[in-house]
Amino acid sequence: MPIAARTHPHYGGTLRVEIQGDAWSLNAARNSSLVRGLIFNGLTRIGADGSVQPALAVRWTSENNDHRWQFWLRPGVHFSDGTALTSSAVESSLTGSCGAACPWTAVHAVGSSVVFTTDSPMPNLPALLAGDDFLIVRAGSINSASGSVLGPFIGTGAFQSDGLSNAILTLVANDSCWEGRPFLDKIEIEGHKLIHDQWLDLSVGRADLVEVPAEELRHARQQHLAVVQSPPVELLALAVADAGTLANPNLRAAIALAVDRSALSNVIFQKQGEITASLLPSALTGYSFLFPAERDVNKARELRGGLTPPTLTLRAEGSATMQLAAQRIALNLREAGFNVQVAANGSRQHADLILPHETLSSSDPRAALESLLRAVGVATPAIDQTPAGLYKAEHDFLETHTLIPLLYLPRAYAIGARVRDLHLSADGVPLLAAASLEDAP
Amino acid sequence: MKRMKRFWLVGMILGGLIGLAATAAPVPGTWDQPAASLADAIAEILGPGQARLTMRNLSTIPTDQIPAIRRLLEQDLKSHGVLASGAESANTIRVTLSENLRERLWVAEVIEGNETRVAMVHVAPGVARQAQAGSGLTLRKQTLFTTGDEVLAVLETPDALVVVEPEQIAINAHGAGGWQLLKKVGIGQTTPLARDPRGVILTSADGSSFEAYVAGSRCGGVSQPAGEWAVHCHENDDPWPILQSINAENSPALKAFYNAARNYFTGVVTPSLGVDLPPFYSAALFLRAGGATLLIGGIDGKVQIVSNGKLKSIAGTRDWGGDFAVLDSGCGAGTQIVASGSGEATADSLRAYDLPGQEAIPASAPLAMDGTVTALWPPPDGKSLFAVVRGAAGRYEVNRVTASCD
Repeated sequence: MPIAARTHPHYGGTLRVEIQGDAWSLNAARNSSLVRGLIFNGLTRIGADGSVQPALAVRWTSENNDHRWQFWLRPGVHFSDGTALTSSAVESSLTGSCGAACPWTAVHAVGSSVVFTTDSPMPNLPALLAGDDFLIVRAGSINSASGSVLGPFIGTGAFQSDGLSNAILTLVANDSCWEGRPFLDKIEIEGHKLIHDQWLDLSVGRADLVEVPAEELRHARQQHLAVVQSPPVELLALAVADAGTLANPNLRAAIALAVDRSALSNVIFQKQGEITASLLPSALTGYSFLFPAERDVNKARELRGGLTPPTLTLRAEGSATMQLAAQRIALNLREAGFNVQVAANGSRQHADLILPHETLSSSDPRAALESLLRAVGVATPAIDQTPAGLYKAEHDFLETHTLIPLLYLPRAYAIGARVRDLHLSADGVPLLAAASLEDAP
Repeated sequence: MKRMKRFWLVGMILGGLIGLAATAAPVPGTWDQPAASLADAIAEILGPGQARLTMRNLSTIPTDQIPAIRRLLEQDLKSHGVLASGAESANTIRVTLSENLRERLWVAEVIEGNETRVAMVHVAPGVARQAQAGSGLTLRKQTLFTTGDEVLAVLETPDALVVVEPEQIAINAHGAGGWQLLKKVGIGQTTPLARDPRGVILTSADGSSFEAYVAGSRCGGVSQPAGEWAVHCHENDDPWPILQSINAENSPALKAFYNAARNYFTGVVTPSLGVDLPPFYSAALFLRAGGATLLIGGIDGKVQIVSNGKLKSIAGTRDWGGDFAVLDSGCGAGTQIVASGSGEATADSLRAYDLPGQEAIPASAPLAMDGTVTALWPPPDGKSLFAVVRGAAGRYEVNRVTASCD
């Protein structure tokens, strides 16, 4: 009996996704990219090779030494509700997305283009506009005060929201998407599912795409799950306050030297992380070895200079695994003579040390560095367009020891047998608009 | 204890754009320019004198090439008055051959006492292309054209390469460095194309005109004096000619209606074959002892032939992908079916098959392609095939695939 061959991708079917976070909250960092990237597009996007490519803008030019940028919009694009994409709509969306904290000074609609002006040169603006923060949302979908996205979510992307029911967010294909209708008819995203339950649902065919945290990658492989994994894109770092006791730069440098990254990688993250003392991973720069990541407790004690600072509070953001990582770091710091207490999970109390994880939003190294610095509230320095210039910017910031890079972690998902052509974006988000189902009708 | 300082070297020294695959054999002169650039930068920091040179390789440069790179660097340093000496020198030059996803990066840490300064040179890597030999019939590929734009179909005429893209027709002419873009003509669709769009282009026998079809549109092009082409496009829902050139007179044209909202042919063909065809992705007219027969690749994954007014399934097609075409190789039975593989983007391939009965028999080893095969069709003479490949980096490559008899 002949067996069916693999064909071009099929149209149709419903893909079921399960995640730990809130499927509905488009502003939740980890999940937002998944949903936002399906509903919205940016003016630009980052291609698989890391280059900036046209999206809602078809071309752009810079003038006045990168102080003025003009982006021309793709003609004939409509939002999923049928309204035309105009330069005014783009201006409203971009202004609403960042409010007073925009990286540019002003953005204006000019004919079928939008013009950005800045006080300082922005050579990386096209790459920056590909980021999740600057996706184009139709006016009325944004809370102008907070910049957060409200329902209904109206964008130009491959899918549109069909509402939330029984904790399941349903997205349906946008037939008039400028990139072409997606292969899938529908995506159902169920939030607040424990990893164990996600994997169980995958195994019995109730889910097609589930999460695999980095520390569970080995376990997933042992269970023979079909895993798609990104390069290391999530930076786990220790944010150190530069006020109070820690205003002393030697104490911050001592903390940086006291952390045992190898133990974090080996014990907590099951050797799935890439140890780093640089903000950008080696795959993007090739020079991360210039930032030594070895622990040196003796030198840390020496830098502390006999000072015994008051008890420091360390708070982790995220899962129970992050809480374990915080406990481990506290242990390291105590060995170097610091008194450290770990805040309870979910605590909002003041912390001297915070363990955040930031996503590498671009595979363009300059845009990625700018985005990381903005995420931690640091004004973006002018970055020279050379590897040496990039290294200098990174080096200068890390010398402040206000953010201590620890590990780069991959993002991973397990997929069911009927899913095909599922790839991850440069920042590890599943590209569901290009995926299809083998058994679609 | 005095803290060691690390400084950076202002300015980046751009190395030459060097094409070399990690697995390729050393090319004489390949590393000359980056070695010279790095030596310049080191000498600028250090000035004439002695220094201890250490070297490590964190890149994919084969280990056996490292001594040659070191020798080059030592020679270039010497020309600047910097002598790479033994361990007794107070100054150290620590060279690391590194790389990132896009390029190689050579880094020199110049250590003078407690002060370290850094110089960098970047070297762009090239791409290896290697045809895979097989047993029996061997398929080979030759890259005609690469582009960052999506390619649906290509036509090669004596003086032009006509490329059908989703929203435009690109005319390329011979230039010094290969095909050079002459002009682009917008197709002017008013509605978005479906994902995985398809296209067809056919030429007249003398190569002076072409017809191209994409979903909902048809374009006609006519060669003009001085290498110019007049191209006009208009909305059109006529069936696409799928099996022959536009003015072939000796065999009947077969045309198929294309579903413009999807990525397949509806199964309705003209003239009728007397049998209801299912929706299909690919079709090919295959010559066998009993005459010509139509082979179709259905959207359900079944490969079938039309024989005596009936559809019959073909076995042995489990490894076939969505595209196949007939190749007049002159080997064995004379013609073979060449099918894309069923692999993912990084592992697609082409393989020739004989079709003596109702089972496809492999006639060649798989020919590895550098990405996913997105289109496959024969030129008018049928003696080769064109294959469009979408690479991992999103670039498109047009290959000519030929066969040699072993």
